[in-house]
Amino acid sequence: MADTTMGTAARPALFLRNATGLVKAWSTFDAFVYSFWSVNLVTLGLYGMSFVYWQPDGNLLASILIFGVLTTFLVVTYAMLVSVMPRTGGDYAWQSRVLGGGPGFVLSITGWWFTLFLWAPIYANILNVQFFLPLAYTLGWKDVATFFTSQVGVFVSCLIVLAFVSVVVTLGMETYARIQKICFWVGIVGLVVVCGLLLFASQQDFQNAFNREAASLFGASGNAYQTTIDLGTKAGYAPHDFSYFALGPVFLVMPFLAFYLLWPNWGATLYGEVRGAKDIRKPFWSMFWGLWVTIGLVVLVLVLTVKTMGWTFYNAANAAWFNNLYYGGDAPPVATWPYPVMFAGFLVDNHLFQALLILVMGLWFFGWAGTLFLSSTRVIFAAAFDRVLPSWAANISTGRRVPYGALILMIVPSLVLSAVWAFKPDFQAVFLDATAVLALTFLATTVAAIILPWRRKDLYDASPIASYKVAGIPAITIVGVITAAFLVFMLWEWSFNPDNLYGTTFSKTLNSVYYFVATYVVAIVIYVVAYFVRRNQGIDLSRIHHEIPVE
Amino acid sequence: MPRVFFATDLHGSEVCWKKFLNAAKFYGADILICGGDMTGKAIVPVVSENGHFSVALGGERQTVPAEQVAEIENNIRRKGYYPLRMSVERLHELDQDAGKRAACFQEVMLEGVERWMGMAAEKLHGTGVRVFVCPGNDDELEVDEVVRRSDFVELGEGRLVDIDGFSMISTGWSNPTPWKTHREDSEEELAQRIDAMASQVPDQSRAIFNLHCPPYKSGLDEAPAIDADLKLLHGGRALRPVGSTAVRAAIEKHQPLLSLHGHIHESKGAIKIGKTLSINPGSAYEEGMLMGAVIQLDAKKGIKSYQLVNG
Repeated sequence: MADTTMGTAARPALFLRNATGLVKAWSTFDAFVYSFWSVNLVTLGLYGMSFVYWQPDGNLLASILIFGVLTTFLVVTYAMLVSVMPRTGGDYAWQSRVLGGGPGFVLSITGWWFTLFLWAPIYANILNVQFFLPLAYTLGWKDVATFFTSQVGVFVSCLIVLAFVSVVVTLGMETYARIQKICFWVGIVGLVVVCGLLLFASQQDFQNAFNREAASLFGASGNAYQTTIDLGTKAGYAPHDFSYFALGPVFLVMPFLAFYLLWPNWGATLYGEVRGAKDIRKPFWSMFWGLWVTIGLVVLVLVLTVKTMGWTFYNAANAAWFNNLYYGGDAPPVATWPYPVMFAGFLVDNHLFQALLILVMGLWFFGWAGTLFLSSTRVIFAAAFDRVLPSWAANISTGRRVPYGALILMIVPSLVLSAVWAFKPDFQAVFLDATAVLALTFLATTVAAIILPWRRKDLYDASPIASYKVAGIPAITIVGVITAAFLVFMLWEWSFNPDNLYGTTFSKTLNSVYYFVATYVVAIVIYVVAYFVRRNQGIDLSRIHHEIPVE
Repeated sequence: MPRVFFATDLHGSEVCWKKFLNAAKFYGADILICGGDMTGKAIVPVVSENGHFSVALGGERQTVPAEQVAEIENNIRRKGYYPLRMSVERLHELDQDAGKRAACFQEVMLEGVERWMGMAAEKLHGTGVRVFVCPGNDDELEVDEVVRRSDFVELGEGRLVDIDGFSMISTGWSNPTPWKTHREDSEEELAQRIDAMASQVPDQSRAIFNLHCPPYKSGLDEAPAIDADLKLLHGGRALRPVGSTAVRAAIEKHQPLLSLHGHIHESKGAIKIGKTLSINPGSAYEEGMLMGAVIQLDAKKGIKSYQLVNG
């Protein structure tokens, strides 16, 4: 009877009335762009992969693919959390509501606030080696290049990064999103050019081009290509064929890859501002494609690099450079970080073209680095609204709506750490831990996801993912356990690798241990002080997340 | 001195309304203020056929026996939607006829508000707790009359009320929105509406402005940017201030002790505009979570303390 008038599939699921906030969903592509930038193939990826020569037995391609599969579980975990609690604050909100206000504050603030101080100088270093230095060398501006390799130059680069991210926060995301889109498309064109150059050139072409530019730009003599390989081997790099495979070392490469591939969920702290975020598909596909399109491009770039530059050369160049930088080994003929984009540009015998290519590929940096403090300001706001931080931390200016309180809290410590980075090179091991601490923050969020169905049954049961179960076990718990195992493995390797493979083993880098223990202690102290100060004001911080009984 | 609990934008979530009423005991509040947009945005048809009921919720259609319908309906109410049992013929009729759909909406919304008023009286009558409701721009004008009929809940709209020596003025009207909702004024009209009440306040240092729309460029009014087709721009990450300049001007001119706002669910926050503490507790009604603000008023200090909570 019923279906003669209206088939089940054709029936409206609900009737909506005209009401505020009923908007059409955001474009998955727009959100994909943000996630794609987060796992930035050029800015973070090329830099992160320049360290994998330390584990030459690990097959890089296999490691990238396995990393992608495991990070997909992280993506699912975060997409599910977004759909259960799509609120501003991301990690902070989820951890606070599930694990409790105190643990939530300490775990997320150390990652999203204190650790991001370290990323300003890390970004500055990347800006130097991927932009200022190759550009200066290519244009023959030796003095400029020399300046940016000096301690003052490194510090100036940090100041430029801090000024840039401050301007972006001031401009607001709407303006920056437009800039990002331009950077995205122009950057993609640049990448296509790089891939095209590598595709159509032979290895002999590259050797000739490299030797020519090493002489022209850096004054090197003889076969610079072979000299670079020899220096890399002398530095300890033990060459393997690109296809060499051994299972164990594949996993040991993964902590290097985390430097760029672990962040497809970076924008999760912002999803709370999106009304469509309750639909799990949007955040999931945005992050999923951001991750996997990048992986596809990495595979392409690697294969082309191996074909044209040579796998042994690629690793040896990195080994020679870092051996010179860290251990005072002989300087390589091309005395700058082996930037694959710069090397690809060498294939065209025209310095203006080479400079233009570096400029265009620099948009991968400028299209992403501006968001450095964006998530941090959100977390600081959330903590201020919870009265854990002083209310001025959430102040914004009337005219341009600049969140000056949060910016001060980010920039002042970043300035101090930038100075440490620039003028105290022996303290740089601390900066290697920047990835690990964020991974620890993600782990805390993952634990929150695992226990969510029991700890906040009310929220879970009301969410769209409540029906997702496998053998009666909530899907969020299952994917959370897999994600947690992945993160724990990497944290273990970062902390206890007996060979100090990542430069972060606790027993070999006591400065880092002291620094990070201090950040957790500071976070605990802030919370405890806030707890008692607020209690004297009649405010009980512990009740912020207590659920009011329904009946 | 009174302790105020303020929540807003419940949008038909019965779980949130129950929590709102229980907030008095939970937070020790004497005054409960519901800031507007009480009514839901959607009706979910629960279609009766062949002794069973079918319903589509969260993108999944399910058929349940009669004895499970109440549970399904509770789940729907929890999200802020109105479950409505109907035949296939009625479903078809509502689908085809916008006028009948609007009438149906009004019927279920007013019935819902009436039920909520009854629940408030049943729960809090005789406790000494006062409950104020001020319908928002998403609430049809007829809602006021339903609240007015309540012998327990007090209607705030357009009135100056005394709360233990503090004066509160309220309006749920907003500046124009892209949705052309039920209570929208031009900024000039909204300014007149607010000023008409504000001018009656005897002492602004003990005044509460309960204005649904947040002040412009206050950080309490940042909504995702949309295009003319109501599509979110830039992955929803781009935010724009959409608050009212009239509300901001009123706060800057009169400098009340406290201003309470809602309207923009994502823009939770508490800021100072001159001497005024302005609060938007945000809303997460779809999760069944009651976001609110607990404010301890004080005869000397004005505001002794405040806290945003996620109940």
